[in-house]
Amino acid sequence: MKRTHAAIFGYNEYSKQILKQIINIYREITLFVANSEEMNAAANDGLSAELFDLGDDWGTIEKRFDVRTLSVFCALGNDAENVFLTISLRSSFESVFIIALAQNHESMLKMKSAGADKVMPVLQIAANVIGDMITKPNVTHVLHDILYEDEGLGVMEVKIEHTSPLVGTYLYDTDFNTQFDLILLAMVDHERENSFSFAVEGHNHHIDADDVLVLMGDKQKLALFKQWARG
Amino acid sequence: MLGKWVVDASYFLQASHPYRKVKNSVYNLLENNHYHYKKIFDFFMIVLIFLSVFILIRQVKHELSYEWIFFNTYVISFIFLTEYLMRLWVHSDTSKVVIEQYEHDLFLHRPFSLSKALNQALLKKFEFIRSPAAIIDLLAILPFFHELRMLRVFILFRVLKLFRYAKSLRRLLSILSSKKFEFITLIVFTAIVIFIASVLIYVMEANNPDSPVNTLFDALYWSVVTIFTVGYGDIIPVTSEGRVVAMVVIMLGIAVISFATSIVVSAFTEKLDEIKEDKLIDDVSRLKRFYLICGFSILSLEVIKKLHKGSIPIVIFEKDPILLAQARSHGFLALEYDSASMETYTHLKINFTHQIEAILLLQESDVANVFTALTIREMNKHVPLYAILHNIEHRRKLQMAGIDVIINPQELIGLLGKILSTQPVAFEAIHTLRSEHTSTVIDEIVVKKGMEKVFFDLLQEPLFLRRLSVLGIFHESEKDFRFNPRHSETFREGDVAIVLANPVLISEFKTKLHRRSVG
Repeated sequence: MKRTHAAIFGYNEYSKQILKQIINIYREITLFVANSEEMNAAANDGLSAELFDLGDDWGTIEKRFDVRTLSVFCALGNDAENVFLTISLRSSFESVFIIALAQNHESMLKMKSAGADKVMPVLQIAANVIGDMITKPNVTHVLHDILYEDEGLGVMEVKIEHTSPLVGTYLYDTDFNTQFDLILLAMVDHERENSFSFAVEGHNHHIDADDVLVLMGDKQKLALFKQWARG
Repeated sequence: MLGKWVVDASYFLQASHPYRKVKNSVYNLLENNHYHYKKIFDFFMIVLIFLSVFILIRQVKHELSYEWIFFNTYVISFIFLTEYLMRLWVHSDTSKVVIEQYEHDLFLHRPFSLSKALNQALLKKFEFIRSPAAIIDLLAILPFFHELRMLRVFILFRVLKLFRYAKSLRRLLSILSSKKFEFITLIVFTAIVIFIASVLIYVMEANNPDSPVNTLFDALYWSVVTIFTVGYGDIIPVTSEGRVVAMVVIMLGIAVISFATSIVVSAFTEKLDEIKEDKLIDDVSRLKRFYLICGFSILSLEVIKKLHKGSIPIVIFEKDPILLAQARSHGFLALEYDSASMETYTHLKINFTHQIEAILLLQESDVANVFTALTIREMNKHVPLYAILHNIEHRRKLQMAGIDVIINPQELIGLLGKILSTQPVAFEAIHTLRSEHTSTVIDEIVVKKGMEKVFFDLLQEPLFLRRLSVLGIFHESEKDFRFNPRHSETFREGDVAIVLANPVLISEFKTKLHRRSVG
């Protein structure tokens, strides 16, 4: 089910940037703050926020949102609070999509254990970008264009539908490079317990419905492929 | 008239580029520890010293050929004499002293005083002549002037010259010289004790026919052997009075040895930090290329982990002792220096152009990073500067400070949040590739001459087919990225291929590519 609603917990520089970037993606975004200070800061920026308490039973969330369509960003001030928020939400809602911020690798592992679907390790991400900028400037440049630019190259994940012509075939049966001018980056294989693997690892996966292909290429060609793959 | 000639000659020498160049080269060779050829020169001199001592020892019981004696007496001594004169030459600048005196007199409307100028110049030269190292140098040349057998022992002064060439010996000397006062006190005390003990034992023993102490020299010899706790036993007191003196001298001897030991130990303890710091400075100056990280934090640690995968070493500047200790506990080359101070870079003799690959400003505040950036830009305009931006509103200030690349973690998280919202698997793929925690990495291959002809053919080999993916070619000259290149794609030298594969496979591909391109 498509995620149409988002909730951001915490109001700080990170959540401000997340809000700025996702504002056009979700139909409705709700900001939850832990104290009146954050509430005032949000109000000063022209945003309305709601107070929450980590000890809440989260009944309000259930009443307000269909949790199957909800993405939650745990962006509180410290890792311990984010872990607690994540575990609280996961214990209450199994289907909510939780994205959590972690300062380091150790906290990232805790967030994952607490039930976060995706974790953004802030320092590691920044360090990787700095390191790549110095040692692999061209890679960084290309990845930046692919990830963040609206035009030109992009990356797209395509979930294989039951009706797709790819169902029942093997990866090597399709020449993504020449046929679609796309590069297959990775695949999530439904048959192998949704395990994630890169295409260059050399496994000729059997493609089934619900598998996910991650492709890189021109955004228009990616859109055409997505349409074709739908069947 | 003479004065005018001297002044003219001085101005000529000051303006003469070849003269200055030669003098500068000689100075570097003799005095500049960072000058590459100094190490070779020092090694050469050490070899000469040992050769000289070897010849002296060999001469004791063997007849040496004329060539060896000539070599030792004239060739080595001549080299040492030349070195002595060169040191005397570069020690001070006589022409500069003359010009300064001339301009000083001119300014005050006085006639030029040549004698005053020469006097000052000679005083400066005399500073060198009376220095302990120069005296040793001079004594080491003496065998050159005298072929008398007795004067051959002067060759041993050449061994003392080792202090000039071996840095560790120089350091030892400087450590011990820091306790000069204590050593002088000890020497005076020991000399007094030896004097009193010698006189006393002579008075007590000399008239006893059974006593081996017959002369004042015997008494002095016994005192020295006893006070330094050696006690050969060849001379022993036989009278009761003499034995009492012996007991007192033995006790005082232990005190002298303990005092001497404590002085040496305390000198080393006090200088330990300095020695360690000197070693770190040496380590830095020896590095050909390195990354400089200003400020140690958890982010710095993550960046270092990432950069450590390469072969270029990393140097950290951190002025906070706690953070410095943390950095050192990880085994990093961390120095307690303020990165925002110009003195730091001059003290460490850092060559921005030749030594530094990139500088990363990872301090905890934008204020500190801007301050450091301005310091560095004041010293070098071109060294690549990367900085972390803590507050987005400060971006413009960092740009104005001359920082080339600014990274703001909050912005990165915002952008990644967008990708995660729409394409979580794609995020996973990109993040995994970047973190290099899996067996697949994204890397660059710089295309060199001849590689373009074999690149795509090599890709078709079974080892690489479907296992090494070329995302694109970055055409350096046009700054254009060609995604998913075809076989017909044209390369130029310096273009960069961006590939995706197992790192071992990429390395193998690079090796084969290189071999085929030159084969």
